Amino acid sequence: MVGELITLLITSVLLNNAVLNQFLGLCPFMGVSRKKSSALGMGVAVVFVIVAAGIVTYGLYYLVLVPLHLEFMDLVTFILVIASLVQLTEMFLKKSSPALYKSLGVYLPLITTNCVVLNVCLMNISNGYDIAHMLVYTIGTPLGFALVLYIFSSIRERLEVADIPQCFKGNPIALIVAGLMAMAFSGLAGII
Amino acid sequence: MDFAQLFLAVLFFGSLVGIYIFLFLKNKKTPKPEGCENLTADCEGCKDIYCPNHPTKEES
Amino acid sequence: MNRMQNFKNGLIKDNPVFGLYLGLCSTLAITTSINNAIGMGVAVIFVLILSNMIISAIRKLVPDDIRIPVYIVIIATLVKIIQMLIQAYAPALDSSLGVFIPLIVVNCIILGRAEAFASKNGILDSALDGVGMGLGYLLAVLSMSVIRQLLATGVLSMTNPFNEAQVLFSIRLIPADFTISMFSSPLGAFMTFACLAAGLTAYKLHAQKKEEAKAAANSKEAAK
Repeated sequence: MVGELITLLITSVLLNNAVLNQFLGLCPFMGVSRKKSSALGMGVAVVFVIVAAGIVTYGLYYLVLVPLHLEFMDLVTFILVIASLVQLTEMFLKKSSPALYKSLGVYLPLITTNCVVLNVCLMNISNGYDIAHMLVYTIGTPLGFALVLYIFSSIRERLEVADIPQCFKGNPIALIVAGLMAMAFSGLAGII
Repeated sequence: MDFAQLFLAVLFFGSLVGIYIFLFLKNKKTPKPEGCENLTADCEGCKDIYCPNHPTKEES
Repeated sequence: MNRMQNFKNGLIKDNPVFGLYLGLCSTLAITTSINNAIGMGVAVIFVLILSNMIISAIRKLVPDDIRIPVYIVIIATLVKIIQMLIQAYAPALDSSLGVFIPLIVVNCIILGRAEAFASKNGILDSALDGVGMGLGYLLAVLSMSVIRQLLATGVLSMTNPFNEAQVLFSIRLIPADFTISMFSSPLGAFMTFACLAAGLTAYKLHAQKKEEAKAAANSKEAAK
């Protein structure tokens, strides 16, 4: 059981990485990776929202939607929960911790349209995870996202000074870097 | 589907939408803490027009 | 005329995928085969047209403060409808697209167009905008998938999405010994996308230079 959970954790962080293997969350991945500090802020905000959203949607699905035979309304419920949680988090940060708001505030509204969040909520249900697996998967996936985002932003800072053909400047070269990172990460498949 | 269930379902989704709209408005009214009025993400990449940090939102 | 121009821009110059980098996630993930690309493209066009029309129809009824929550609910409902239709009539497509059908909800193209266009324009204009942007997306995923499928398997093929056994066409262009299976992996997806996007940028730069040269020549003539 414990071994299985550790395998799931490694898989969700490294092997089946949200960005590099499943292509989720590429919008913020390309958008906020110009500076290391903003990448870190976005990473922390994503981890926080995904953990909260994953647990709440899992609870709502099994405690409310299943007893009422409303499984087909999962999508609407999940997106509403995610959007509400983002608002709640932003409000909470504004009131209680201005310092934290200063570093994370601008990234919170972006998270509503981050596909990693919705994907984690949907996968928890469609993979039929029990509570322990759900918790591990819910924590592992955003950790993988934050890790890759941070590495990517460090590479991108160096890329600013590189001599690149005019038409590859900006996003195209960043995508090639992401591709090379995906290749490097696929080499980790031997861990398990 | 019997009537009580339908009622509960409508109540559930009504309250979900209600909670979201309530939080959305409440969040909008909460003033930003000092020093954070002009925060913008350094973000030109994704062109996500929905995002409040998008350049087109600046005039409003 | 103006409408036609908008439509054309949405297809090539301001292509939502290669020009504006919207909806990257699904573009990279589902372009391993032509079947998937067409299925996804049609689903996005369907949702985009309907959401644009509905949002444009109710734009005067919805208070400005709560319009984003309303858009999200409308789009999520539409996506659930198309997901259930695909599950019922094209189960093979459903299993190969997987989680990317429900993820249309958070596809930036749809919310972006709702916010930037449909909330300010009439129903007909919004529907046309949906068609243009949707076709731009379809064109992008189709070109990606043709390149990737051809290089990875050497075969261009398509099956009827409603009946898996019926093959519409299947042509082998590259012998099996010379295929590059890298193109079906994530690396191939990123590379193909980067090269196509760079190609579009190069085309734009070229057009810009040509225009500048033309303007310079014109002003010279005027000076004479």
